[in-house]
Amino acid sequence: MESNFSLTLYNFETEKKFMFMKSSVYKWSLFFLILFGAAGIKAQDFKIGIKFQKTHSLYWENGVSAQYSFVKIRPGQLYVGLDILSSRLGSALGTNALKQNTYLGSLSYYFRKNKAFKIITKVNAGFFKVDLGNELFNELPDTALLLSPELGLVYDFKHKPLSLNLGAGLNVNTKTEGESPGTLQPLFYNLTMFYKFNNI
Amino acid sequence: MKNPIIKIFALFCLGLLIIGCDKSPPIEDHMLDGDIVFDPSINNPEEFLASAKYPNPTSEDLDRHVMIAVHGFTASTFEWSEFNEWSADSTYRLSLVLLGGHGTSYDDFKASTWSDWAESIKLEYETLESMGYKKISLVGSSTGATLLVELVRSGYFDARTSPQNIFLIDPIVVASSKLQSIAGILGPMLVYVGSDNSVEKDEYYYHFKPQETVSELNDLMKTVRKGLEDGLTLPADTYMKVFHSKHDPTANSLSSVMIHAGLKNSAGSDIDVQIMDSDIHVFTRLAIRDSVSALNIENQEDAFRQMANRLN
Repeated sequence: MESNFSLTLYNFETEKKFMFMKSSVYKWSLFFLILFGAAGIKAQDFKIGIKFQKTHSLYWENGVSAQYSFVKIRPGQLYVGLDILSSRLGSALGTNALKQNTYLGSLSYYFRKNKAFKIITKVNAGFFKVDLGNELFNELPDTALLLSPELGLVYDFKHKPLSLNLGAGLNVNTKTEGESPGTLQPLFYNLTMFYKFNNI
Repeated sequence: MKNPIIKIFALFCLGLLIIGCDKSPPIEDHMLDGDIVFDPSINNPEEFLASAKYPNPTSEDLDRHVMIAVHGFTASTFEWSEFNEWSADSTYRLSLVLLGGHGTSYDDFKASTWSDWAESIKLEYETLESMGYKKISLVGSSTGATLLVELVRSGYFDARTSPQNIFLIDPIVVASSKLQSIAGILGPMLVYVGSDNSVEKDEYYYHFKPQETVSELNDLMKTVRKGLEDGLTLPADTYMKVFHSKHDPTANSLSSVMIHAGLKNSAGSDIDVQIMDSDIHVFTRLAIRDSVSALNIENQEDAFRQMANRLN
């Protein structure tokens, strides 16, 4: 499945454009485009925060998370989001743990909209890459497409623009077992601390 | 529970739970799991262990290399029998150890811990050392390989004669099976995991894996992973080489990446790793497989030859 994805990039993009896509300029442009309004659509809520994620019995991967709710589409209930997580900010910090990155887009739905405690259901989709660190391992699987349902709880502080998210999810296996990077394991749980902007 | 429908539903769920928690797997007479078939090394250790076969070694014997071969999870001494036959005319000697809790019965396996599994490796190593052997090497396949890394991690060799060589075949530090890591959570609901072993394979490998031992294996992998993350060093002058199937369906090939990243030789340099063009687990065991390709045979021969070259 993953090899098809790579093939598509090579078939339809020039090498120059492919390099541009990989550049940090592109990544950050995309990031801010999504965060600050997606081509001018006004936000009901915009939340940005830090996320701590643990894969069950394996690595901590930490990073940033953002969520965005549109004024005209289920405001305060339906959110699109973006997460960038890395073991470089977790288990691999100062150790020999493998360095790996996770890039996720998400769609969340919040139940109990007007309560302090909310329940959220979420679907994540994205891309996983582990750095194998040596050309000896060039032939080994180091990437995977990600798809994961997630269930969580949110607590919104009453008089502060802060919220806490607790979630647990399951990575759906998109490859046969011998073809998937071993550090991509099914069960994960996370804690996100958000700072919330209203009506931006 | 005033509502009778809720009561009935609760009883139904309880019934399902009780039925689902039948703790006895359907063991058949031909299986290693039962009380009829045993690993032959239990009754005839002199055919498997160099220490038992040559109880009074001469000085010429003591100058030979001797290698301890360690099998994997659920397996038995059979796993290294092909290398034993391949080495028949060699100058080195082999000890095929049977891991603790293995080769006897399901109940013995269920009661064992990963620490028990390693005891037979230690016993043979210490026996050979006390006999005066100086050139002792080790090879482990799958969990056997992981146990060897654990011996390095625990400092077992620090006060002993350093092994000459340690070879790891498809070591398991992280599993390919995505369910393996959550076996501890599924816990009592899991009870045991069956396999699709052939009748022939059932004679040499446990058919059923009790959830307790699956959790033990997870615990061993976690301990070794933590050690590798913190950084490990081989005993002085010990050579290590890791062989791993590229698409190993059981021990994920990233296990060897983790070992390469976390384990250095005593001079501080990298250990040797070779990725094999293979999609089978424990590529050195080809007996009783459904099909064996020319490439499988080539891979096995390559690993056997490289190990033998270090022992001659």
